[in-house]
Amino acid sequence: MEANETHDVVVIGGGPAGLAAALGARRAGAGKVLLVERDRTLGGILNQCVHDGFGLFLYNEAISGPEYAERLIDDVVREPIKVETGAMVLDITPDRVLRINSRSGYRLVRAGAVVLAMGCRERTREMIEIPGTRPAGVFTAGSAQNLVNLQNLRIGNEAVILGSGDIGLIMARRLVFEGVAVKGVFEILSWASGLERNVRQCLMDFGIPLELRSTVVEIRGRDRVESVVVAKVDDKLMPIPGSESVIPCDTLLLSVGLIPENELSKRAGVALSPFTGGAVVDERFMTSVSGVFSCGNVLHIHDVADWASFEGFAAGESAARYAAGERPAGATVRITAGPNVKYALPQLVTAGTAGVEWNFRVGRPLRNVQVVVKGKATEKVYARKKFGRLLPTELQKIKVRPAVEEDLEVSCHE
Amino acid sequence: MSDCPVLDRLTCVLCPVGCELQVRKDESGELDVQGNRCDKGLPFAVEEILHPKRNLATSIPVRGTASKMVSVRLSGPVPREMIFPILAEIARLRPEAPVRRGQVLIADVLGTGVDVIATRTVV
Repeated sequence: MEANETHDVVVIGGGPAGLAAALGARRAGAGKVLLVERDRTLGGILNQCVHDGFGLFLYNEAISGPEYAERLIDDVVREPIKVETGAMVLDITPDRVLRINSRSGYRLVRAGAVVLAMGCRERTREMIEIPGTRPAGVFTAGSAQNLVNLQNLRIGNEAVILGSGDIGLIMARRLVFEGVAVKGVFEILSWASGLERNVRQCLMDFGIPLELRSTVVEIRGRDRVESVVVAKVDDKLMPIPGSESVIPCDTLLLSVGLIPENELSKRAGVALSPFTGGAVVDERFMTSVSGVFSCGNVLHIHDVADWASFEGFAAGESAARYAAGERPAGATVRITAGPNVKYALPQLVTAGTAGVEWNFRVGRPLRNVQVVVKGKATEKVYARKKFGRLLPTELQKIKVRPAVEEDLEVSCHE
Repeated sequence: MSDCPVLDRLTCVLCPVGCELQVRKDESGELDVQGNRCDKGLPFAVEEILHPKRNLATSIPVRGTASKMVSVRLSGPVPREMIFPILAEIARLRPEAPVRRGQVLIADVLGTGVDVIATRTVV
């Protein structure tokens, strides 16, 4: 395909990962960097996350989402990075030609390397199939956050929250601030899926009940939500007949999980992991398509924005080196998730690499845990780390210092 | 000591380790903290029990601009019972654009010693 213009590195998405990726690419020497953002402004979802707690790792202080975004944006605009907002990447070919539709029209852009940083989407009512009528008043927690924080809209008077993800917990407090009565948070699992700190600061501080092992089994109301029916669930997560109760409310918020937004990646032929919902990557964050890198929430869901940015810096640097012609031997060592581990990332490593740090997430809450990275063929222990407690909500890290020559498995033992 | 009833169990939020702290009151009425793996855990738990402090964040409309909201927070944490009185103060604000990130919108709000600051730039 004949391209209209060429860049060393093209970054798709201007949130915490994409902004960092553009900076990482410049730091590693990329001359021409293009950052494409679909929204009218840079910053991504950070703009609506007005609560504090961002930046603890990147800036060593607790700041809000908009401040975190502005600091990264300040760094980006100081660099000769071409920023294009209100622009949509429609397609990527495996040889890295991007079709971009922007305010100035449609064009083709050839990239030396591409960094995918499109973030994620929220799961909706339809995806979890809540029975009932289809009235107004059912929102995902993130869209409610956008309406309240960025558009100054009052979304209702009495709310029930389904799911205990962090955004749902943050929104429970935010709605209380706006004078909305929050009747309770209902979580199907036997543990909260958001951070402990948010359960304390957002629910307990305001006396909002958190009901575990329970879910919404019906939405009622004709034009607007009038009530929801909640029920306890059994060990198979099925509603227990007879445990139902009706909660009058006009608003239902859903905080029931995030899904990496990989439509573009799929079109480029990028192999995805069923465990993360994101790309399979190596230690340089390169996907199965040579020259296409992935970072942030489009790669796997993060609980802290800072880690998405750190991944972005690393992916951007790798992309710049690729664009400059660097071609490592190719990742052949595979790491898999063993007992109690939901996933470990990166999934592939170039043989002989030392000092690789793995992200991993456990499948259920564990106490007094020993995390072990073991060779699959030799049973050799490559790394060991102890944790007092591990929660599925927390992304953890373990570093393997020796050079890796064989397939590995990460496992957790109580 | 350990047979005194547990007043509260809480997770230390000062760093990602997230120690699980158990707070008890001993015979003399002193608070005793267990479970902390560093010396920051004790003062954190005592403050959390006796006088918890919180930051707060919200957003307010800005006059004279198309992008109509500016997000705000406090420059530091305040006693938890000050949250709603401070929110009422913030609700009265209608700043005029431009507003700069870090700009003080209310200094020493309600005598708490902390400021209400803008957390984004709106021009």
